[in-house]
Amino acid sequence: MIRILSPADRREATKRLMESSNQNVMICLQCGKCTAGCPFSEEMDLDPHQMVRMAQLGLLEELMNSEAIWFCATCFTCESRCPVSIDIAAIAEAVRLIVQLGEGDHFGPDDVPKDVSANAPQQALVSLYRKFGS
Amino acid sequence: MSRYGLFICHCGKNIAGTVDVEDLTKRFEGEKDLTVVENYAYLCSDPGQNMIAEAIKNNRLDGVVIASCSPTLHEPTFRNVAQECGLNKYMLEIANIREQCAWVHEDREAATDKAEAIIRGTLARVRNAAALEPIKSPVVKRALVIGAGVAGIQAALDIANSGIEVILVEKNPSIGGHMAQLSETFPTLDCSQCILTPKMVEVSRHPNVKLYTYSEIEEISGSMGDFSVKIRQKPRYVEPDVCTSCGDCAEVCPVVVPNEFDMGLQSRKAIYIPFPQAVPAVYTLDTEHCLGLFPLACAKCRDACEIGAINYDMKPKIVEEHVGAVVVATGYDLYDMSNLGEYGYDRVADVIDGLYFERLLSASGPTGGVIRRPSDGKVPKEIVFIQCAGSREPERHKGYCSKICCMYTAKHAMMFQHAVPEGQSYVFYIDVRTGGRDYEEFYRRAMEDGVIYVRGKVSRVYEEGDKIVVRGADTVAGGPVEVRADMVVLATPMEPSHGVEELVGKLKIGCTADGWVREVHPKLRPVEAVTPGYFIAGAAQGPKDIPETVAQASGAAAKVVNLLSNDYITKEPIVAVVNEDLCVGCRLCIQMCPYNAREWVEERGVASVNAVLCEGCGVCAAGCPSGATRQDGFTDAQIISAVEAMLGGSGEMVRKILGMSGDGEKPKEEELDAEEPVTVLK
Amino acid sequence: MKVGYYPGCTLKGKALALDETTQLAVELLGEELREIPDWTCCGATTPLTETKIANLIAQTRLLIKTRDAGYEALVTTCPFCFSTLRRANLSIREDELKRKRINTYLAEDLRQRDYETPPPPYRQYTGDIGVLHLLEWFRDTVGFDRIKRTCINPLKGMKVVPFYGCQLLRPAEELAMCDPENPTILEEFLEATGADVLDFPPRIDCCGSYLSVAKPEAAMRASYKILDAAKRIGADAIVVTCPLCFFNLDDLQPEMMKHYPEFRPIPVLYFTQLLALAMNAPVDKLGLESHKIDPRPLVEKYSVNISREVPA
Repeated sequence: MIRILSPADRREATKRLMESSNQNVMICLQCGKCTAGCPFSEEMDLDPHQMVRMAQLGLLEELMNSEAIWFCATCFTCESRCPVSIDIAAIAEAVRLIVQLGEGDHFGPDDVPKDVSANAPQQALVSLYRKFGS
Repeated sequence: MSRYGLFICHCGKNIAGTVDVEDLTKRFEGEKDLTVVENYAYLCSDPGQNMIAEAIKNNRLDGVVIASCSPTLHEPTFRNVAQECGLNKYMLEIANIREQCAWVHEDREAATDKAEAIIRGTLARVRNAAALEPIKSPVVKRALVIGAGVAGIQAALDIANSGIEVILVEKNPSIGGHMAQLSETFPTLDCSQCILTPKMVEVSRHPNVKLYTYSEIEEISGSMGDFSVKIRQKPRYVEPDVCTSCGDCAEVCPVVVPNEFDMGLQSRKAIYIPFPQAVPAVYTLDTEHCLGLFPLACAKCRDACEIGAINYDMKPKIVEEHVGAVVVATGYDLYDMSNLGEYGYDRVADVIDGLYFERLLSASGPTGGVIRRPSDGKVPKEIVFIQCAGSREPERHKGYCSKICCMYTAKHAMMFQHAVPEGQSYVFYIDVRTGGRDYEEFYRRAMEDGVIYVRGKVSRVYEEGDKIVVRGADTVAGGPVEVRADMVVLATPMEPSHGVEELVGKLKIGCTADGWVREVHPKLRPVEAVTPGYFIAGAAQGPKDIPETVAQASGAAAKVVNLLSNDYITKEPIVAVVNEDLCVGCRLCIQMCPYNAREWVEERGVASVNAVLCEGCGVCAAGCPSGATRQDGFTDAQIISAVEAMLGGSGEMVRKILGMSGDGEKPKEEELDAEEPVTVLK
Repeated sequence: MKVGYYPGCTLKGKALALDETTQLAVELLGEELREIPDWTCCGATTPLTETKIANLIAQTRLLIKTRDAGYEALVTTCPFCFSTLRRANLSIREDELKRKRINTYLAEDLRQRDYETPPPPYRQYTGDIGVLHLLEWFRDTVGFDRIKRTCINPLKGMKVVPFYGCQLLRPAEELAMCDPENPTILEEFLEATGADVLDFPPRIDCCGSYLSVAKPEAAMRASYKILDAAKRIGADAIVVTCPLCFFNLDDLQPEMMKHYPEFRPIPVLYFTQLLALAMNAPVDKLGLESHKIDPRPLVEKYSVNISREVPA
């Protein structure tokens, strides 16, 4: 599959993501420091720096279809070390928001495994519903 | 009656595209004292200049206004034309209708009106101008070079070889700077000290070079062509003419401290010579670490010295020198690793920086050229080099690229592979910048010799047992990567030499926000500092490698020789002048002057102006309560008549001028209506 | 400065031990921390997109409650609460649009509620209530020296590693709590209790957070790395401040032992449990029964107040 780079896509999707996350994705060099420090980049199908790259090129659909955005623990290790202070967690959240606008809850109370729901601390469920739910 | 000429330039479309030049010309035709009113496509061209010259000569003009681009570009051009035609050059003024009019507006009518106002103002100035004469000041044919690293040494040699005496001042006990610490230099892999020490010796023996080491600039005053410099010589407590650097004193000294030259890898005594090839080859007593001289706590070194070279009574000495030009060659220091939290600050023993690694590589260094871990002395098998450690990081560290790190890292990694063939080096990079002849080939060779380049930055390093865990990323293959290394070398950026801010303040030369000495124009005048008479050489101006440093040093030297080849310097006569009949002797002007150009004349009880130091800022002219000071080139008559001319009779022109914004539209204002119902956005 | 205590929902639910040992420690210090009356959920976590202004309303509501109860600041133990409240304050202070929208909404909300007696008029919230973490309160209001003096049972010889987790440290520009690469506040606290604090690089890593519910395998891997490192450097226990770190590190250890056969368990303790222990509180008051990995064998070694029933 070849990625067609279209200026219209870029202007539309990139602008949308940048405004939503309030991050200037255009100055990212894809240095990879975010990927290096992210505790879950090894599970992600798109590395954090690749997510920013997609945002730069306006490839919103690929971002929306990725599994990576649902692996972010918002630990902010990426943001704390990025040379140009891009908050990749915010970008992932901006993509999640667009997905949720379309499909509603990505993760709701019914998705919690039964053995976990009995024991998990309230903060985990509350934050999960606010992050991955609509 | 006086006869004036007005020449309006189209500047191609630069002016004529916005300002209606033809209409503008008509507005001035027929004015009483405007004998010549012309417009032309490019006045700065040869035909344009000829037109002006002919007009001046044929009409015997008393003054000229050129309505064109900014005076910073062509004022000298046109003034020279006037001078050549017999018209005093200060009777020619530029009306800037490009940068201050055509280039910043779009409304054609309003721009043309504004251009008219500007020209009217300038004409008023010329009508009230005086035929001034440039101020001549004598040139002292000596030069000062601050800093004796390779840049200062090269500049000093080039100036000295042209017959001019050079004062070379170095704050450290030895000259040589950081280049003396390096092992091999890219791309040729020359032994650094082997190519530097001959120059060090040459400069120290040169008949035209007066070398002050362990000295700093205390104070500098004066201006281009005539500077007075006070140099503070710090006491070494060792007589330089007597010491034979035998080392007996250091042997008995009880104080052991880390040796700065070896980046702390090796120690030295309180009385020491920084490295064996130091120039001058004289020991120095470091009073910061010495057990004490006043009262005397030890005295072992003095007792050990058989020729009596040690003298505890030496005091700091202030020496005064007069020079005509100054070269600033203060070099660089490396950004401190202790700023980099994710790489362990300065706390992990086996995480080091580039200069430290150079000392490890150096055959005359503490490990005899064997690369060893600082923690246990073992030879590392896996070594990670991290590029951009603190550079290209505008948010937390240095935003710029330090230019040389890609090359020296390739060198380091390659040297490691040669020295430890069974070892593996990794270089984590964002880019590999090899902008120099033979540099790309050098990098290719590093890869051929087994260095593995991983494209991605390292997020963190930390210790685990006797290994250092390096968490990086490979942005090309994808995903995070981890290396369990024996040693990590950080390529930290260069920054201006520590302590240079204070010196720059004393010299009153400009700096960039990062502290580099600023040049007049980065492309066309790269070796001249913003203040006339000061020149720049080497890393003081910005990160650069040795070839560029030496080239720039020779360039600065050429400019110095250029300046000092004149007997006189001529200075623009835009200076303050005192009318002694009106001066009441209140001395307010002396306090006000930021350039120390005002003096008190005791015999006559009045203030005077040192025209050479005066920069024509106008503060004293404005502040003098008796009106006794006039500012040549900006007299009250000139200023007031210019403003009146610009405002025009009815003031209509003022309204037009003040009402204009960039494109004639008012800026939009955002309003948030607090009363509208709030909907949660989904 | 008048400071109110904000436990948050988790401390009154699954992390009761953290709440109770906090209150116990405060009491033993001779201090008083009253709960903010009628407190509500803090609204964790902070929204990261510009349009989700509604997700800041819970935080603001709580801060207004704190203000209206007469407090100048609130102190909380849960890092999620701490982080989101501190960041919400910054948003309110610095972002005019958010401040306007949230205040407008809350004013309207107040108007629409059914009250027998009309409430006082709505007062705009502009971000002036302080938000403190318990560690900061210990350091600045009580002082670690005083804590040291109150620790009459110093835990000398107990080798512990501190685990900060993410929400206390990052984003550092907003939280301004400690240096995110080299934090020291928890170490200083632990040293005051007398425990031997070991150098532990993974102390600033992420335990997996809420991914232990959504992506359990990935979170387990992250937590395992941390526990394994603690074990390998010889720690007796790992000390946390956060109920979610506690859950991920303690609760999941039995599962971990199934996935990673060579893994050996290590007890997890809340920092306030350790403090109470060092203050000589009885072991049965520390809430240790709820732990999955029983810390009692370790704790009893360091307690001088064990009541052992001697069989008749």
